Amino acid sequence: MSRTNKKQVIMVFMIVLFFSNLIHAMTAEDIIRAMDQNENYATSYMTGSIATTDRFGEKITTFKAWSQGAYDSLIEFTSLAERGQKILRNKGELYLYYPDAEELIRLQGAALRQSVLGSDLSYEDMTGEKNTLDMYTVSFDNEDIVHNQACYVLTLTAKSRTVAYPVQKIWVDKETYIVHKGQYSSATGRLLKEFEVLETKVIDNRTIPVKTKISDILKKDSYTVMAIEELQIDIPLDANIFTLQSLMW
Amino acid sequence: MKLTSIAMRNIMRNLRRSLLSGIAIAVSTMSIVLLFAFVQGMIDDMAMNIKSYSTGEIRIRNEAYSEYERYSPLHLTVDWPEILPILEQTPGVSAFVPRIQFAASAYMNGSNHGLMVMGSDFNYEDGFIDVREILREGRLCEPGKNETIMGAGLANRLHLTIGDKVTLLTNTATRGSNAFTLTIVGIAVFPVGAMNASYTMIPLDRAQYFLHMDSEVQEILVMADDSVKENTLASLIDQSILDHTGVQTEVKTWKQLNDLMTLMDIASYAYYVIAFFFFILGSTVIINTTMMVIFERMREIGTLAAMGMHGKELTRLFFLEGAIIGAIGAAIGVIVGVVITSYFGIIGLDFTDALSGIDMEMSSVLYPRTDYWRVLIIYVYAVATASLATLIPSRRASKIEPVEALRYV
Repeated sequence: MSRTNKKQVIMVFMIVLFFSNLIHAMTAEDIIRAMDQNENYATSYMTGSIATTDRFGEKITTFKAWSQGAYDSLIEFTSLAERGQKILRNKGELYLYYPDAEELIRLQGAALRQSVLGSDLSYEDMTGEKNTLDMYTVSFDNEDIVHNQACYVLTLTAKSRTVAYPVQKIWVDKETYIVHKGQYSSATGRLLKEFEVLETKVIDNRTIPVKTKISDILKKDSYTVMAIEELQIDIPLDANIFTLQSLMW
Repeated sequence: MKLTSIAMRNIMRNLRRSLLSGIAIAVSTMSIVLLFAFVQGMIDDMAMNIKSYSTGEIRIRNEAYSEYERYSPLHLTVDWPEILPILEQTPGVSAFVPRIQFAASAYMNGSNHGLMVMGSDFNYEDGFIDVREILREGRLCEPGKNETIMGAGLANRLHLTIGDKVTLLTNTATRGSNAFTLTIVGIAVFPVGAMNASYTMIPLDRAQYFLHMDSEVQEILVMADDSVKENTLASLIDQSILDHTGVQTEVKTWKQLNDLMTLMDIASYAYYVIAFFFFILGSTVIINTTMMVIFERMREIGTLAAMGMHGKELTRLFFLEGAIIGAIGAAIGVIVGVVITSYFGIIGLDFTDALSGIDMEMSSVLYPRTDYWRVLIIYVYAVATASLATLIPSRRASKIEPVEALRYV
């Protein structure tokens, strides 16, 4: 190889290396954007169940839920024991409606981390805003295989102290961008919760997790399986659904 | 008789010293009477509060409740409609009440305030909490209505009064959560400071409704007739429930449930030891006085010995002097102690500030209490200790040789 050819090869190699690094650095954030985009719907309606298993046995709660964009969501419980109870989340605000209470209960701060109906899910888990990059910085760890799917392994580190999980390690599907597995930890690295997708379904050309399992590590022998039975995406919704007035209705 | 006369004469002759000894014994005796009366009042008060407010004399619960108590397992209940006729037919049961106690948060202006809720059937409370008696203002809750009687301390902390509404958030028996709004219809002053600061009472049927408990309850408290032993009655109730319902429950007496009362019983023995040291302390004055008297009356002792009085008689003489001073001093101490006890037994001793924030079944106002047997024992104890204390210096007097004693002239 001539000296000029050698130089060209080295130049090409360096350019490839430079761009591959660049692509790599962007990829982590792009993956998150793709993940959020996959989880965000203009509007949605779903029905489902939350099955919590703990030392006292299994408890099943059913619900209906509506969402709009990244910030608005409403959950109404339909199982007998909780019938009529609702959770409304608007941007930065979370309200609980109970049929026997004459006022709405607004949850804020640490109260958002309380368990929903004794499950392993917190109010924040149920209704959390899907704007990951606003709250976390992301770094690419490596690649892994989960449930026979190739995944990116990413670590999210909180930008502020207001989030429920200061550190998240997530396994994002390379093709569908769904999160197959997650480990949520405290700032000191103590594992708080584990998340795993048990079942997925393709709806409107999107792969959607329809059965997920979450375990609160701080609760002994406890886990919760959340299943979506029906999901409609991008359907027309009355904008008033997500207002306080409609919550009291 | 002759010795008694001499002893009396000697007591009167050294009146100031005798008075000092007598006062020391009187103060010791009075202190012990007051200490025992206070301790007894405290034990009685705790026992009454535990029985009335906490566990009854016998408590019936779901067999598994105690094991999981730290998780507030409201779903582990007992069947009130099934157990009610069993208790009505069990001989020796004088009263019983169904209750549900649970933790809740009062939601006010965006923040939560922790409190305890007691759901109870007020018709059955007569043998336990005298709700009318503790009601400072307002009225009792009516069954079927979302009403509450709030502890005065809690109402004060939350800045609530009669007519105000409060929304409570709690976990339910279905392991979910619920919130409900109550109207305050009464303010009660619970005698136990911790309850006063954190409890609110609601009708049992509303508690069952809010907590999704149907007709079940968390616990049933039972009071026994005086003629029946609590342990025997507890076993009888346990067996009756098992025979009639086929369900094993946890039936325990209040003493089995309250380690603190066992500790208090042990502590009361410790007070007898403390009393002994109190008397020893008081008796040192007698020992000191007697020793001084012996030194001062050495010539007289020598003369008495020269006239033929034996050492044993000299010992008896000083013993008699101590016994007389002790008897009079202890009598005065007992009388003063009983008068003070009776006075505070009526008006009470207010420990509201000292006990605020202390989670014990002890009333803020304590009423010292004593009985004649206890007073008699303390009196005999005081006289015996004072008399025996004189033996130490008296033995010295009995060993003095007349010739040596007359040298003190």
